[in-house]
Amino acid sequence: MEHLLETIGRNMFAIFGVMALCGAAFMVASKSAVHSVLGFLFAMLCVAGCFLSLEAEFLGMAQILVYAGGIVVLFLFVVMLVELSKFKEKSVFQLQSRYAVVAVLLGAAAFVAIFRNLIFGTPSTEALVLRPELANGLNVAQQNAQAVSRGLFADYLLPFEILSVILLVALVGAVVLAKTERV
Amino acid sequence: MPTQAIPMTLTQTLIMGVIQILAVLIVIFIIVPLTTFAERKVIGYIQVRLGATRLAGGHVGITGPMNRIMWGMGKVPMLSILRGLPIFIADALKLITKEDIIPAKADRGVFTLAPIISVMAAFGVFACVAYYPGVMFYMPKSWPVIGGLPFQGFITDVNVGLLFILGLASVGVYGIVLGAWASNSKYPLLGSLRSAAQIVSYEVPLTLSLLVPVLLSGSLSFKDMSVALSTGKDLNPLAIIPLFIGFFVYLTCGFAETNRVPFDLAEAETELVAGFHTEYSGMKFGFFYLAEYANMIVVSSLATAFFLGGHYLLPFGLQRFIPATMPIIGGPSFFFFFAKILCILFVFLWVRATLPRYRYDQLMDVGWKYLIPLTLVNLFLAAIIRFAF
Repeated sequence: MEHLLETIGRNMFAIFGVMALCGAAFMVASKSAVHSVLGFLFAMLCVAGCFLSLEAEFLGMAQILVYAGGIVVLFLFVVMLVELSKFKEKSVFQLQSRYAVVAVLLGAAAFVAIFRNLIFGTPSTEALVLRPELANGLNVAQQNAQAVSRGLFADYLLPFEILSVILLVALVGAVVLAKTERV
Repeated sequence: MPTQAIPMTLTQTLIMGVIQILAVLIVIFIIVPLTTFAERKVIGYIQVRLGATRLAGGHVGITGPMNRIMWGMGKVPMLSILRGLPIFIADALKLITKEDIIPAKADRGVFTLAPIISVMAAFGVFACVAYYPGVMFYMPKSWPVIGGLPFQGFITDVNVGLLFILGLASVGVYGIVLGAWASNSKYPLLGSLRSAAQIVSYEVPLTLSLLVPVLLSGSLSFKDMSVALSTGKDLNPLAIIPLFIGFFVYLTCGFAETNRVPFDLAEAETELVAGFHTEYSGMKFGFFYLAEYANMIVVSSLATAFFLGGHYLLPFGLQRFIPATMPIIGGPSFFFFFAKILCILFVFLWVRATLPRYRYDQLMDVGWKYLIPLTLVNLFLAAIIRFAF
């Protein structure tokens, strides 16, 4: 019993990871768009589980709060309201466009290239730490939330703000693109 | 109070976890039906409804013979203080035994999944709610595996417990949206769209109003926050002002989040038949019902813990004026927490019996034009009080 529980506990990340992959596969493979959203939701919750198994509680909860609770709800809204019978496809994967295949292959190659060290290399012995020497006057982080907030609002404030502006630009761009001329 | 005073093996942790979950579930399954009973009684007395206040105690019906004997002896029948109880029992029986119909054109899988999501989200939240900040009692020494282990007043105390509660609560909206979509019917879909828009927009002021206690206590753990907010040594006396405003904003948003009157537009029966659960019957409907009442309990416990002093007698940091050595009112108690939850549940019923329903545009106005600016100002005020004084 003890041994079994220990094994499960050690492999929690792998378990959640496989479940997330299953959810993602269900999302791609299912014919109904609402079922796809459900698969996506499941995958998102399992990714939150992955974060939790790595003791990143804040990230896991933010994952649930933002993705599962906010973004996927919006997806579901759009999917429910759009007339889906128009878009019914016979084939699950759309292979009409050669460019899409090329893009996917390029993406996969880039992924492998970026994470080559992570996947095939030796595991690093030193954990990634935020820069505590910059945190003058702040106590040493005792919680996840403190560590993340220090990263966001003390060490990497400028990149964080720039990212927010980029997101805003994307939002405005989407509105401009989607707006039709009213005469 | 250390959370883990005694080192526990994984097996012991698992068994204790299951025991605590079962204990919490049993308490919920006792409180929820009693709340529906209380709802009938309270609304019955406020609105002078006959059934809930007069049934039983008469000469006919299930308890008729016994009541006749008691009237004959010149005494008020015993069951008359429980008037309305037959309705309650019939209600529960009907819910359990009614035929479970799935409409022919419904999406069967999603139709079944929706109430499950609702109930799981509503009950999962209780994992992070602390009923008592510490060990309630120890298991008897003679028990085989778990002898002598502490029974905590909470299932877990995650250091981001509040986020966990908010996150799971926001997952609950899927139950409503998916159930309505899977019913393949007009009224449920309209009801669910209303409800989802309402829940998503009221989540903003709800979260913002909860940020005030977070800011003032400097923690995200449910237990630490509730203890800090009632006994906090470094809690400024002025902190009462933002907490007081925050309490009312939170309670308003809590009504909207649980789809209760006056914000129950999702099931406005004059317009939408019964809203998102029109096509549901039997225990699947019962699950939605259960989830709604469980959510009411969650909202009440959060309001209790963060704004009303939680496990202590006095809220807003006033507890520090009572010396901790006083016999009963000096320390934390499960019963204070419980009594405050019951009071807020009563407010839920009171409001339902008193206020009419809002119109949809009024609802959105209240949320976006008044509550969100108010919470922002309130948050700013709390920040000033925390850091300037």
